[in-house]
Amino acid sequence: MENFLKKHSARLQTTALILMLVIPFLLYAAASYDSIFQVNLLLAVMIGNMLFVMIKG
Amino acid sequence: MSFYFLRVDYMTDLFIVKWIFALSPILTVLVLMILKNWSGSRAGAAGWLVSLITASLVFGAHPKLLALSQVKGALLSLNVLYIIWAALLLYNVVNETGAIKVIGMGIQRFSGDKSIQIIIFGWIFASFLQGVAGYGVPIAVVAPLLVGLGFSPVVAVAVPAIGHSWSVTFGSMGASFQALMAVSGLDSSYLAPWSATLLGITTFLCGIFAVFVYGGWKMVKHSLIAILIVGSAMAGTQYVLAVSGMWTLGGFGASLVGLVSGLAAAKLNIYNQTSPSQTRLEMGLWWALSAYLILIAIVSAGVMIPSVKAFLGQVNLAFTFPEIVSLKGWVTKAGDGKGINLFGHGGALLLYSSMISYFVYRSKGFYKPHALKAIIQKTVKSGVPTSLGIVSMVCFAMIMDHCQMIYILAEGISRVFGSLYPLISPWIGLLGAFMTGSNTNSNVVFGVLQQETAQMAGLSTALILAAQTTGGALGSMIAPAKILVGCSTVGLSGQEGPVLKTTLRYGLIITGIIGMITMLASLIG
Repeated sequence: MENFLKKHSARLQTTALILMLVIPFLLYAAASYDSIFQVNLLLAVMIGNMLFVMIKG
Repeated sequence: MSFYFLRVDYMTDLFIVKWIFALSPILTVLVLMILKNWSGSRAGAAGWLVSLITASLVFGAHPKLLALSQVKGALLSLNVLYIIWAALLLYNVVNETGAIKVIGMGIQRFSGDKSIQIIIFGWIFASFLQGVAGYGVPIAVVAPLLVGLGFSPVVAVAVPAIGHSWSVTFGSMGASFQALMAVSGLDSSYLAPWSATLLGITTFLCGIFAVFVYGGWKMVKHSLIAILIVGSAMAGTQYVLAVSGMWTLGGFGASLVGLVSGLAAAKLNIYNQTSPSQTRLEMGLWWALSAYLILIAIVSAGVMIPSVKAFLGQVNLAFTFPEIVSLKGWVTKAGDGKGINLFGHGGALLLYSSMISYFVYRSKGFYKPHALKAIIQKTVKSGVPTSLGIVSMVCFAMIMDHCQMIYILAEGISRVFGSLYPLISPWIGLLGAFMTGSNTNSNVVFGVLQQETAQMAGLSTALILAAQTTGGALGSMIAPAKILVGCSTVGLSGQEGPVLKTTLRYGLIITGIIGMITMLASLIG
């Protein structure tokens, strides 16, 4: 696992950045439809993404 | 009566607790970056998580509020990232041809005088690089050039670190100023005059201290005429460009005019006692500068010709937001978020310049095979970590803004400092840049805080935000992230202490002077 993260660190960082910029727009769509389940789900993904950046950033 | 006092005490205690909670995300970033040496991206993500937890548990954030604040954060981030990525692309398009080295060597041929070399490389050329690239590039490029000219590694890193700081706000195509406008919601015509004034004063101070680091007051006295000529040219040009709406070219245009005036000053008799270098250049100086001439033409057309501006401004990415009320009753008004002018944005103009420059250089055969791949790889490599830090910090600043956290921080500072607030406002900007390594991030994290504090204290918002961004710009000379980059290019890795000690001393002196000027300006009104 550690080797995988080290080997693909640049690609994972790029993916994390794309997620950081895309998830908010999905959140906007979910919030516009008052879909609390989707909002919570997307916020959970965002938290996971930030945790990844914080640990492996 | 006693009940009344008890109640007041209770409220004050509660406010202090709330203030500490409101400060916790910023404190997290500070501690992790300064004491634990974390990168901006990791510390920013940690700050985001702390702000999310604090906002939910203490300040009444709910999922919909968090969702909408993040969209606003993403829009703000995209506005800034558009410029950052395009500036990095242009820099790599130019650097891949070897043109940056040629520009440096071309300047070296003008004078053999050490003080003029410090002024031209450490002050003007470093500022020019800040104008076109930023993000540590000025220190990374100039430091090895100065070592090559015979300066000690510590001086070689410290001089460009101090020299380029004044141009950070309006440099990088005005990314930091764009961020200040974005978070404050204020127009460039309102913010630019004071910002350009304080940064103009900083221009002279940076020049003086860049020379002082190498030769003390004796050398400052020797180079005073050159400092006055160049400083007036750069500060004046920056002011004119900023207040006339061309703030994207503020740092770049000012340093370009500074370069011309610096080369003219180098021809004065007092600076021609030593013979200049006779090194042959690998490509013509005009070819090396051609990308930046293309940039000037495109940005001028995009900003100054109404028909071009209108044509490019047809596609605008914008979102409308409803009123958001936190569970504690804090109301964020309904309105449009920060839109993105897709084809007329400063980043778009930079992108056009990069593409045209690439084809010009390619048609002249300046690139090695697979240069395009190298350009893209280098841009992505330096762009991603910077962007991760910016997005996470902008997003946590938006959470704080939507939950009254920034308002509470501002109210606390306003209560403690009151009318003395202008004295400390540049220090807040400096702190932000020190902890995040970026004037842009400092403006994002502290811009709204400074704006609200100024409003509460009845001070000029334009003046306080100018002090914020000036402090943020000065923070660039002491930001460990940038010092690390500079030291790595001159073989000082692991020995950053002496450089940081030097830049810290002058950074604090200049910030103190700016604080006093801000105080004086607020008293005069």
